[in-house]
Amino acid sequence: MDQPSPTVPAVYDDAIVKKFAWATMIWGFVGMLVGVIIALELAYWPTNLSIPYITFGRLRPLHTNAVIFAFGGNIVFAGIYYSMQRLMKVRMWNDILSNFHFWGWQAIIVSAALTLPLGLTEGKEYAELIWPIDVAIAVVWVAFAINFFGTIAIRKVAHLYVAIWFYMSFVITIPVLHIVNSLAVPATLTRSYPIYSGMTDALVQWWYGHNAVGFFLTTPFLGLMYYFLPRAAERPVYSYRLSIIHFWGLVFLYIWAGPHHLLYSGLPDWAQTLGMVFSIMLLAPSWGGMLNGLLTLRGAWDRLRTDPVLKFYVVGVSFYGMSTFEGPMMSIRAVNALAHYTSWVVGHVHSGALGWNGMVTFGTLYWLLPRLYKRPLYSTDLATLHFWIATIGIVLYTISMWAGGLNEGLMARAIDDHGQLLYPMWKDIITRLQPFYWVRFGGGLLFLSGVVLMLFNAAMTAFGPTTQSAPGAAPAK
Amino acid sequence: MSDQNHDKIMGHAADNDGIEEYDNALPNWWVGLFLFCIVWGIGYAVDYHFISHRSQAGYYDVEMAEAAVKWPAPAAGSVAPLTPEVLAEGKEIFTQNCVACHGADMHGKIGPNLVDDVWIHGGTQADITKTITTGVKEKGMPTWEPILGPDRVAKVAAYVFSSKEPPSPSPQ
Repeated sequence: MDQPSPTVPAVYDDAIVKKFAWATMIWGFVGMLVGVIIALELAYWPTNLSIPYITFGRLRPLHTNAVIFAFGGNIVFAGIYYSMQRLMKVRMWNDILSNFHFWGWQAIIVSAALTLPLGLTEGKEYAELIWPIDVAIAVVWVAFAINFFGTIAIRKVAHLYVAIWFYMSFVITIPVLHIVNSLAVPATLTRSYPIYSGMTDALVQWWYGHNAVGFFLTTPFLGLMYYFLPRAAERPVYSYRLSIIHFWGLVFLYIWAGPHHLLYSGLPDWAQTLGMVFSIMLLAPSWGGMLNGLLTLRGAWDRLRTDPVLKFYVVGVSFYGMSTFEGPMMSIRAVNALAHYTSWVVGHVHSGALGWNGMVTFGTLYWLLPRLYKRPLYSTDLATLHFWIATIGIVLYTISMWAGGLNEGLMARAIDDHGQLLYPMWKDIITRLQPFYWVRFGGGLLFLSGVVLMLFNAAMTAFGPTTQSAPGAAPAK
Repeated sequence: MSDQNHDKIMGHAADNDGIEEYDNALPNWWVGLFLFCIVWGIGYAVDYHFISHRSQAGYYDVEMAEAAVKWPAPAAGSVAPLTPEVLAEGKEIFTQNCVACHGADMHGKIGPNLVDDVWIHGGTQADITKTITTGVKEKGMPTWEPILGPDRVAKVAAYVFSSKEPPSPSPQ
């Protein structure tokens, strides 16, 4: 056991935080490795070696599930378990539930990694997992929610800090989305029929899909930002009022915006309009989070030169602002007509996932690791190198997908003098995209390399020889 | 920003694990942006549905009507003239799209022989044009009209029609 220190009272359960932090890094590596493999398969298809289990269609859902629910989920849980105990001034309500949550969540991820390559899927994007795993997710989540609210109930403070509101929106909304979207009638152990059909199914699916972005990748990460950014910057949060207004703005508006995924479909026009205008209204509440993050750094900008944690946070919050501007723009009918079904969407998603979720995760881990192990970070230089590699990787990724996606959208609608499609054959478009796919592969590979650096740095920080751990010392290079 | 309470501390730090919060006002431009987006969103929705009466189906009808004027559809049963220019272009279209199944020599591979006397779906130039236009889904022949367009379908049909005489007899 770790020795208690004045800043970390022994009552807090940091063992669970360590577990979630390592799960984040390991699953992050796996999920991004699968992402890089499928990026290579798109640029050069023989990479799939004609093995069905590793074809694009099977690995793509594995990639998305691994990075969202394993990488993203585990860092959020690590951050929640670390920060909420300190914000409530109590240990988690029940250690058994904490550990059930951890091992249950990892078992769900392992079963996803086994079933998806076997082609066992419900075919709903970001909700592919078959019904027994869906049931397990609901059970594990309820255990987590009981523990979470139990801890709030026994708290020793009067005031609930803003990070806790954001966590609450996550803990409450995710099971609602997951259960409603996954309702199905089981036929066999691995197969089931959804209770919705046709357009209703599509609408429920994108109500879920969009709010998975809103309440899995946005609100809990804003909670992390509200705890770890002021801690790292050692500055007060810029505006309490802004945090209230943008919180309620976000949680109220997000839930309506899903139909923007179904513009120009069979969805009734009024529902399409609803999805579009609520997406536009989301711009300001989203930017409220970015503003509160960036303005909190007033007076700490000089530390950006030396502190990799703040570097990761500043770029992460900036990408959050960028992609929450891009999202509403892409929800406008005329823009969507060009962007939808192209690589532009993939670029948009990754500017959020790599830029916002990835960078905030890395910043949080680099802040947490030395505190969890009560040893200085093994190498600040390696962390800074990770920051630059990751940033360049994101830029290559998003720019190649913007350019490729615009090409794709323009080619798909191009018409010749006879009123005929100029590129009626899909292969005419896809061959034009190949160079962009190669650049994207390079960007993803850089991002993955950064994670490898972080794994090494984390392992050395946690388990490396103690002689290296002089405070603030430059590490062996 | 000229708020006299600027950077006033809330005083919750003891409850917030030491994190202080300022009681700063909302930035004016941010409030303006929020209100603008709300007003614009409501205005857009009201205009779209109740003032301009726009709709997805309406846009489709308008675009199709414009296209019908700009590019009138060929009359049913019309065929391309068998001029050397048309046949040369038809041959090029055939080479690009048809040889994979019907063979460069037109003796048939996956698809049937096109230069013998047997015509499964009719051997007049109008029949061939129609077969290429609609395709034969159950046998794997694609519907070429949306891919090639009526003009190029007519040209490649003219080429197939005019290529009836086999250069050398084939058992297929």
